[in-house]
Amino acid sequence: MYDLRTNDSLKDKLTILSDAAKYDVACTSSGVSRSGKEGYLGNSVAGGVCHAFSADGRCISLLKILMTNHCIYDCKYCKNRVSNDIERALFTPEEICTLTIEFYKRNYIEGLFLSSGVFKNPDYTMEKICETLRLLRNKYRFNGYIHVKAIPGASEELLYSAGLLADRISINMELPTEQSLHKLAPNKTMKHIIEPMNRISGTIAGHRIAIGKSARMERCGINKYLVNSIFGPETAQIEGSSDNPFLYPAQKSDALLRRPFAPAGQSTQMIIGASDETDLELIRTTQALYQRFDLKRVFYSAYIPINTDEDLPGKDIPVPLLREHRLYQADWLLRYYGFGAEEILTKENPFLDYRIDPKCFWALNHLDIFPVEINKASVELLLRVPGIGPTSVKRIISARKYGNVNFEMLKRMHVVLKRAQYFITCNGKMLNPTPIERRFIMGQLTDLEHREVYQIEDSLNIGRQMSLFSDFHLEMT
Amino acid sequence: MKIFTCTPQWDAMLTCIYEAAESKLSHKNMRLLLEPLEQQSFLDEYIHVDADPEKAEKVAKSIITRISSYFYLELAYTAMAFEEDVLDNIYHVLLLGFKFGDSALKMVQYKDIMRNREIRTRVIREAERFREILRFHRLGDLYVAHFEPKSRVVGYLGPRFQDRMPSENFIIIDDVHREAVVHRKNEQYYMWQINEAEYERLVQTEQENDEYADLWKAFFDSIAIAERANEKCQQSHFPLWARKHAVEFTFDGKV
Repeated sequence: MYDLRTNDSLKDKLTILSDAAKYDVACTSSGVSRSGKEGYLGNSVAGGVCHAFSADGRCISLLKILMTNHCIYDCKYCKNRVSNDIERALFTPEEICTLTIEFYKRNYIEGLFLSSGVFKNPDYTMEKICETLRLLRNKYRFNGYIHVKAIPGASEELLYSAGLLADRISINMELPTEQSLHKLAPNKTMKHIIEPMNRISGTIAGHRIAIGKSARMERCGINKYLVNSIFGPETAQIEGSSDNPFLYPAQKSDALLRRPFAPAGQSTQMIIGASDETDLELIRTTQALYQRFDLKRVFYSAYIPINTDEDLPGKDIPVPLLREHRLYQADWLLRYYGFGAEEILTKENPFLDYRIDPKCFWALNHLDIFPVEINKASVELLLRVPGIGPTSVKRIISARKYGNVNFEMLKRMHVVLKRAQYFITCNGKMLNPTPIERRFIMGQLTDLEHREVYQIEDSLNIGRQMSLFSDFHLEMT
Repeated sequence: MKIFTCTPQWDAMLTCIYEAAESKLSHKNMRLLLEPLEQQSFLDEYIHVDADPEKAEKVAKSIITRISSYFYLELAYTAMAFEEDVLDNIYHVLLLGFKFGDSALKMVQYKDIMRNREIRTRVIREAERFREILRFHRLGDLYVAHFEPKSRVVGYLGPRFQDRMPSENFIIIDDVHREAVVHRKNEQYYMWQINEAEYERLVQTEQENDEYADLWKAFFDSIAIAERANEKCQQSHFPLWARKHAVEFTFDGKV
């Protein structure tokens, strides 16, 4: 079926297969804390560790590779689709293991991110992935972080094994609706994505209950104390209940390792801008995923035009980086600030305002609750002030125990006063006598954001400044 | 004004604090500074204090028993910093600690506590940065890493790397302050002050590059998405001054 080039050098393979994996964004090494053991290599830090930063400014934390970029599927947005004529390669399990171990010992990486194109069929691919992970855990005694991608359509036993061997398991949702999935990824169905996601969340919950933890994942920081957050007590139960978990791993030995099932939880990613979803749909789907499947993260990936197809945006359409940025800000509001999707966007207004961040936008529409008195306001209210984040709130609360807080102290606590000053008072006074008026504050805030917006759009070379040297080929003598 | 000075070792600093407290001077009439001193004034009296393990232990013990071991640890982290006023700040924070106990560290209403938090945050951020970007070179079954921090953070890295690679032999060398963490397979790590002859030999280890450094460079280049190139963002996360020993940014030993 394929011309399998197994005699490529390791370097060629690594170049091809990391290049093929680079569009996957879910590459954090966070979510689980595990100390090292004698005789084993590696530990894991709950906050995650970034080891390098690539030329696009994104962090490199894991060795992000595909096992193979051979793929039988024909997803239109994907670089590795079967109808693309590109260089293909295939790693052997041993090669992946030595690369991981040697990189890890040199402190280049924090662990392995293993995904794959669908080679032969989903089960065969997943089995190979499991084999690799088994080798890494048992023979190479690797105790570091592993993030594995579940192949949609693979059988349950294999997914169970993968979860037992890895720290985080994720299934890419790619597109939030059945219609767009049908249009752009004809070989995938929503059922093949949602069902394993459901099973995984049920199994994680079961494993957590078995060791005396709560069924839901802990949310870090101040978020766990927020009553009205989307993870609060009033939200619905996890849909994948613990009486519907995976039953058997593919190999008994995996269960005998006595590792918890995916202790760092599961995540997913969605492509932004390839189909015509609104931001509201995306945010709503995100919230539903957090609540129903207790996902740890939902990642967004701005669509980069790689393929030409009539169903896809044209190649001249710029990458929606700003939209991705604003969606991530909204995602943070959901996870750390106690916002709900309906608060951020409404049906009448289904797109985020790209000029200012979603929190400022919300504040501008709710000016009736401002200004907030720093020395008296509740945690929930402080979190709603633009320019004050969870860390600042923690600092303010702990400082309030011992005396009044003033603007000088806020500044030293790294509260972003240039944003917050329009919305707060300290001991009854505002920093500057500014009116609490929507148009005025909007003007001030868009002025602040202008630079950020410009920076993001500038990286796409929109409205680039003319340069004598590069545009007119002038050279210094 | 009397100024007590000492070398930037933790035991010397504790001795210096002991001597300053013993002098019974009012806190406004004295300062504590770290050597080397930048500019001396002829109006002040400088008193050099040498490290004395006995006195240092007394101070350490009284901090741990009368305040808490958490407080002691936080001060020790602060002491890694290079800021000029760090010892003075530690002294003043200590006085507040004896007055209010453990919770003094949260009383940001005091300028000294606020300053202490600033220094501590900066130092720990720097230490965490090196935890990320330290690069080891392989020599047989020994792994060697060189780095050039602004603060003396190698002591922070020791326990973290011991936990990360408990069954490997490795050395982490601070080229600026000539300190090293030495770890033998399955043993407890220890700190080592490097002399000139040792340094001359150790500096050569970095020229050894193996195929995995090459593979890493290849990976580093191919993982970036060209359409999203963003040099500013990369630089703010990985500043130029820190790149000296990172293999992915060096070409023939140069940045």
